[in-house]
Amino acid sequence: MTADRYEIHELMIARIAEEMTAEGEHIVLMGSFTPLAYAAYMLGKLTHARDAWLAGYNAVGIGPVQLSFTGSEAAAYRSATSTASFNQNGWIFHLGTRGLLECVSSAQIGADGAINLSAIGDYDAPKVRLPGGAGAPEVVQNYRRMVAYFTRHDRRTLVEAVDFATGRRTPIGAAAREELGLCPGAVLIVTPLAVLRKDEDEQPFELESVHPGVDVETVVENTGFELAVPDDVPVTGEPSARQVELLRERIDPFQTARFDFLTGEERLGYLEDLLAREWDRAEALVEQAAAR
Amino acid sequence: MEDLPGLIPEGSTVVLGGGWFANHPMAAVRELIRAGRDDLHAIALLGSIDVDLLVGARALRHLTFSMVTLEAFGLATNFRRAVQSGELPITEISALSLQVALEAGAHRVPFLPLRGPVGSDLVAMHPDFYGTASTSLGDADVPVVKAVRPDVALLHATRCDALGNVQHEGTYAMDPELARASDRVIVTCEEIVPTEAVAADASLTRIPGLLVDAVIEAPFGAHPCSHVPRYAQDAWKLLDYQKAALAGGDAYDALLDRIRGEDEESYRERMLGDGRGRVLEALVEAAVVIDEEAA
Repeated sequence: MTADRYEIHELMIARIAEEMTAEGEHIVLMGSFTPLAYAAYMLGKLTHARDAWLAGYNAVGIGPVQLSFTGSEAAAYRSATSTASFNQNGWIFHLGTRGLLECVSSAQIGADGAINLSAIGDYDAPKVRLPGGAGAPEVVQNYRRMVAYFTRHDRRTLVEAVDFATGRRTPIGAAAREELGLCPGAVLIVTPLAVLRKDEDEQPFELESVHPGVDVETVVENTGFELAVPDDVPVTGEPSARQVELLRERIDPFQTARFDFLTGEERLGYLEDLLAREWDRAEALVEQAAAR
Repeated sequence: MEDLPGLIPEGSTVVLGGGWFANHPMAAVRELIRAGRDDLHAIALLGSIDVDLLVGARALRHLTFSMVTLEAFGLATNFRRAVQSGELPITEISALSLQVALEAGAHRVPFLPLRGPVGSDLVAMHPDFYGTASTSLGDADVPVVKAVRPDVALLHATRCDALGNVQHEGTYAMDPELARASDRVIVTCEEIVPTEAVAADASLTRIPGLLVDAVIEAPFGAHPCSHVPRYAQDAWKLLDYQKAALAGGDAYDALLDRIRGEDEESYRERMLGDGRGRVLEALVEAAVVIDEEAA
């Protein structure tokens, strides 16, 4: 049963969670701050992908944890079945090509699937110096899936060629990847409008589905690279009532996943409200302890 | 604590422990700022306020990193400004490659092979770091990264003993490899305990004392970053920091002046007084693991 009402980030979360399929070692990694992706991992872990191995920080075998700014790390350790150095985990997941999914989100993505997390403008004299890619260059190359999500779908984000390729999956075609001992898997882009997919190096991204209420022309107009559009474009599946309930009540009651959609001052204001609730929850525990 | 900067020779390359907002050696970072350092080459795997504060205080002459970000709080303001203006020379390396390079340093071998980020522009940009090797065993053009050997590792831990044994209960990022890769290892810790207490749970010892040169007691030494399971990140003070950094000018100078004008004990009183430290500890307790059966 689909949910009567849902928000666009909940649809995106449910679509990303679908990528948690039991392939390879089924390892899903919580990397750098990507709350929308974290919500997807928890949703998968609580529904169809209960066997997935979740890892984050030094913790491995994490249970589904409630997302919060101040508590996710602590919950990860409390539920983990092992811990190891970043290096050991890196050799297992990234460099050992056992990773299934670790979403990335970047300032730009190009027609070739390259992502830019480094600089807008000239690298040596950037207009905007971005944070850098952390492990994304190895993730997009070595994980079974490459899933990039964006909270806006426009020609500034989906560009013909990125200003700088912090990471690039190469090759993309399954046969060429297997020949090199890399796990096969397409490049997927999930946005508030649509899902795009690239299976072959020499073929453009294809419009896999448009979200309910979005027309194909809007997607094409807002995409800065050539898009292959099939005759009949499917509509992205809507989240189920149960998925939305899990997200709102169990996984993300503080609504951290909406955070991705905010910018600048709006973001800091939202953060202050959200943190006030986290503070109150912790302060109540201190008061309870004092009363005992 | 005030002896710490003297253990770091002028011009040193210093690798910082921790990752994201977890367990950076913040007390040590503040002490370097109090000492007025301006000569350091920092290596930051996954940097946040540790790097931004050092950049803002003009303590760095170079930065090697894979990422510097204040995540939810926004781009790392001082880092961004200093790179955009050309004031701070940088070397950007992908995280796993930097980890393996430090591991090569730890193993005292010249390079290590890995399934690296072959499609990244960073590879062509740094031919002195990302290379290939062919061997007498018949392997040709295997991607490798060159070993990195920092002069100093600055780490924060849960507890240490007088022999330099280092225990972490929560996030330790790649601190053990950093200790092995570096010539000198300086560790601040929440508490210094008798060796018997360390021996009582030796499985928590991530770094054996034989690798460690100095241990310094620094309670809340990761603040405002987290030291799980002792305390969570102080998101409120991180937000204050970002606001000061965004405002820049006098607001940020005032922030630096306060740090310079106090010692760590006064810092703790200022930041964690009025029971605030207890709330940061309670945030760890308040964290929720979802009951899969009930969900």
